[in-house]
Amino acid sequence: MGITDIWTVGILQPMLNALLGFYSLLGDQFWLAIIVFTVIIRGLMTPLMLPQQRSAKKMQELQPQLQALQKKYGKDREKLAQEQMKLYREAGVNPMGGCLPMLVQFPIWIGLYQSIIQALGYQPLQLMNLSQNIYPWMQDLLGIWSAVPLNRYFLGMDLALNPNQMGGLTYALPILVAFTSWIQTKMTTPAGAGGDGQAASMGQSMTLMMPLMFGFFSLSFSAGLSFYFIVSNVIGIITQGFISGWEGLMFWKGLSLSNLMPGGAKAAPGQSSGQQASATSQKGTQSGSKKKRKKRRRKR
Amino acid sequence: MLLLVGAVLAGCGAAPVAQTWPGLTVDGGTVYVISGAPQQVYMLDAETGQQQGTFLPAGEQQGVVYWSPVAVGPDAAYVGFGIGESQNGFSALYAFDPETGQELWSAPAESLIIDAPVYAGGTVYFGDSAGNLYAIDAENGTRQWSFQAEDAIWASALVVDARVYVAAMDHYLYCLDADGGQELWKQKLDGAMAAPPGLAEAEGILYIGNFDGRVYALDAESGEVAEGFEFQAENWIWSEVVVEDEQLYVTALDGKLYALNAADGTAIEPFPYDAGSPLRASPVLAGDSIVVASEEGRVVAVNGESAMAGWEWPGGAPEAGVLTTPVISDGVVFVVLMNGKVQTLDAESGTQGWTFEPPGGE
Repeated sequence: MGITDIWTVGILQPMLNALLGFYSLLGDQFWLAIIVFTVIIRGLMTPLMLPQQRSAKKMQELQPQLQALQKKYGKDREKLAQEQMKLYREAGVNPMGGCLPMLVQFPIWIGLYQSIIQALGYQPLQLMNLSQNIYPWMQDLLGIWSAVPLNRYFLGMDLALNPNQMGGLTYALPILVAFTSWIQTKMTTPAGAGGDGQAASMGQSMTLMMPLMFGFFSLSFSAGLSFYFIVSNVIGIITQGFISGWEGLMFWKGLSLSNLMPGGAKAAPGQSSGQQASATSQKGTQSGSKKKRKKRRRKR
Repeated sequence: MLLLVGAVLAGCGAAPVAQTWPGLTVDGGTVYVISGAPQQVYMLDAETGQQQGTFLPAGEQQGVVYWSPVAVGPDAAYVGFGIGESQNGFSALYAFDPETGQELWSAPAESLIIDAPVYAGGTVYFGDSAGNLYAIDAENGTRQWSFQAEDAIWASALVVDARVYVAAMDHYLYCLDADGGQELWKQKLDGAMAAPPGLAEAEGILYIGNFDGRVYALDAESGEVAEGFEFQAENWIWSEVVVEDEQLYVTALDGKLYALNAADGTAIEPFPYDAGSPLRASPVLAGDSIVVASEEGRVVAVNGESAMAGWEWPGGAPEAGVLTTPVISDGVVFVVLMNGKVQTLDAESGTQGWTFEPPGGE
């Protein structure tokens, strides 16, 4: 058995048949099948995602201490790194914890992409492949052969095609993918993560670049896969909201170009970027008051 | 991490290549095969394999992304092409001069043309993926009529006695009046169909394979499903049902060649023959044998009595499989592999004849 066979048997076929099963049970609505499938996938990944989401919350809580360390050891980078790692260890936080759920999702994306392309096949070779990957018992149980070709349409969109092929309002899909992805990343990435300038800048780059990349590539994804990303992101946003609060969702607060750009305004300790603007503005007000007080003293 | 995510996302969004198999037609001493890079029609001498000409729509810059097999009429050859991708792409039926490869006319279609057009009595009939069946004047490309099914039409039409029988992916088999396109009857079956029906002319019975794995028998006059006829394969049937006297031959994606009793659909022993790999291509009769070509690329002449393999060509495997139905003409079996390579075999012995490899083929 080669690696292709292992992939087909281990990832593609279970995902494809699950999608087909949901499709059949949910009144031949593929978009509904994607939603249910996504909820289940997210549920299965909870043991991986939850520690990462909790870790994000803890990282936010650690920001004052990280800032303090930054001030204390700012010039000695080696010592700073050691102290930061010590702090993470003591708090039980893994700063790279976000990578594992991301890596685990790769095979799911690829498997789902292949499943959607096969299930919604609109060219002969795609259907040929589909016929070889349906479990025989799916036919016995649900008569799935008779459901082919599947109903590919949702709100007038062909879920097998991409926005470049469909045009018009379907260009909203990559925007929604990027937007929900940005919100989710913002909620899970602690503002000013890492403390020092370089790490904070990297964190902000990820917050911006990752959603932009998702949005850009969604232009050439089948609408079904974009639909999966949107649903998955929305579930992620809701879960994160319950774990660490909804502040990250208030994206309009303090929304400015400088906040979006890498290396832009940095959040005050323990504050989300939504709070950055108010923090900056408070600071401005405070410094303004100091100047006024000085002026009064001079007058006296 | 960003690079890794980017690579995975790029892979998910990769532009799909044409998801079909090469077209193969042999007519009047000429082989028409669609392959190569860029994709185009190659016209070859059937005896020697020498390239006689090519056809590609004139001035086309976007490139052929999809094609149907070629149909040949008395004065022209016809092929469906999907040109260009995305919103600017379009599909059309092209008529060209088989001698010179010169384009004669084109008739637009709403979507991809999957199976071969059919020439009958001065009219060309073809279906498209949007569910249209078009009847086009073979002389000048004018549309005579069109018919709309509820889902894609992937199968060629069968035109007999001023009637057009066409199967669609909407589970219906339609019978239309060849002159005006009026629906004479339609019959809903349990699955989609992507191959034309076979007709037992004397009995007036249509036989058609279905994605639900069954073969159906229908009265050609009324469309009524014949009672008492039952056959179920172990996977979809994408092949045409070949009618030979009182026997039917049909292949299935379960990799088997079945011989059935035309009266009731019972399997005839010692069939089925198991090719061990999906059989998309229809079976072809060659004297006492039935030639089948499998997805893994083997071509086998199966003895009609014993259901044992006679000669066998190991094929392109692992080079390429065969999904296109082979053609038998003047004792020669013409096979086209998925990579566009054409191979001829002696129908009696399986001995290899000439080979054609398209320039720039995969």
